[in-house]
Amino acid sequence: MCQNIHVSYKITIILMFVFSVRRRLTTTTIRITVRSHLVYLSVCPQGLCPGVPPVSPPVIFASPTKLASETGSQAEYLRANRIPDLQKLFQRADGIPVHLKGGLIDKLLYRTTMGLTVGGAFYCLVALYIAAQPGNK
Amino acid sequence: MAHQAHAYHMVDPSPWPLTGAISALLMTSGLATWFVYKTTTLLFLGTTLLLLTMFQWWRLIIRESTFQGHHTTPVQKGLRYGMVLFITSEVFFFIGFFWAFYHSSLAPAIELGGLWPPTGITPLDPFEVPLLNTAVPLASGVTVTWAHHSIMEGARKPALQSLTLTVLLGLYFTALQAMEYYEAPFTLADGVYGCTFFVATGFHGLHVIIGTTFSMVCLLPHTHYHFTSNHHFGFDAAAWYWHFVAVVWLFLYISIYWWGS
Repeated sequence: MCQNIHVSYKITIILMFVFSVRRRLTTTTIRITVRSHLVYLSVCPQGLCPGVPPVSPPVIFASPTKLASETGSQAEYLRANRIPDLQKLFQRADGIPVHLKGGLIDKLLYRTTMGLTVGGAFYCLVALYIAAQPGNK
Repeated sequence: MAHQAHAYHMVDPSPWPLTGAISALLMTSGLATWFVYKTTTLLFLGTTLLLLTMFQWWRLIIRESTFQGHHTTPVQKGLRYGMVLFITSEVFFFIGFFWAFYHSSLAPAIELGGLWPPTGITPLDPFEVPLLNTAVPLASGVTVTWAHHSIMEGARKPALQSLTLTVLLGLYFTALQAMEYYEAPFTLADGVYGCTFFVATGFHGLHVIIGTTFSMVCLLPHTHYHFTSNHHFGFDAAAWYWHFVAVVWLFLYISIYWWGS
C-alpha cells in the first residue's frame, strides 16, 4: 500500500512538472491532479492501481495457508467464492423474474413443474370424480 | 432495481405457492386412492411435485437474499418471528399427542386392566436403546451450538465439521429408532398404548428427518460462502428447529418411555 502511494505520488509530481513546462498548468489541472492523487491514496487497495504492479500480500495473511497439515484439506472445501459473480448475474436489470433468471435450466425446471401441476390437478379431479361414483368400490 | 422508500421486501410474483398447494391436493387425494384402490400414481406425483416446489422455492429465497440483498434487518426480524411462530405451532401439535397419552395413562380404563402399561403390553426398557437415543440428540445439540459459534467467528472448517457431525447424529438417531420400531414387541394396533406410543414417537421421528434434512441443506450454502458471521438466518432457523426436536424427545422419553413403563 505504501509503495503504491509512493509511486503514484511520483507519477503525479512528474505530470505536474510536464504540464508546467508546457505552460498548460491551470488551476483546474492542479485540482484534478491533486484530486486524482488523493483518489489514488484513498481507493488504491493492494495491487489494484492501474499501471502499478501488484505487491505481494503482507506476511501476516500468508502464514495460515502455509501450515502443511492444512494445505491438502483446504483445497477441497475452500472452493472459489462465486458470490460476487452470482450477485451480478441476479441483479442484472433484464426484467426476467428471479425464478427464471438463472438461465435455461430454470426454464426447463419451471415448465416440468407447471406441466406436472396442471396435468396432476386434472388427473386428480378425474380420479376423485370416479371415486365419488356409487358403483366404484 | 426499482426504488422503494422502505426496507421491506415486496416479493415478485412466483408460481411456487400454486404448485405447492396443488402438490398438497395430489398428496392427500393420492393417500385416499392408495388406501381404497391400492394405486400409488397420484401419491407419487404429489410427492414429486412437492420436492420440486421445495427445491425451487427455497432456491428462490437464497437468490432474493444472498444474491439480491433483499433481506434487510426488518425483513430478517419478520423471518425470525415467522420461524418462532411456526415452531410454537408445532409445539401445540405435540401437546395434543401428549394430552392423548396422559388422558389414557393417568386413569387407565377397565378394558386395559385398570393399569398402565395395559395388561399384555411389554414396554421397551427405557435404559437400553431409548437412553442412547436420548444421549444422541443431546450431543447433537452441542454440535449444532458449536457450528453456530464457528459460523459467527468465521471459522469455516470447524463449522463444516460440526454441522456434518450434527447431521450424522440425526441420521444415527433415525436408524436407531427404525431398529427399535422393527424390534418392538407391540404394534400400532395394540390398543391405546400402541396408538399413543407410535403416533407420538412416529411424528417425532418425522420431525427428526425434517430437521436432519434442513441441517444437511445448510451444509451446501455454507461451503458456497453464503453465510456471513452476522447474517446466517437459514442456519439459525435450522438450529432452532433442531433444538425443538431434541426437547420434544426429552419430554417423550420422560413421559412415554420412563414414566409410562
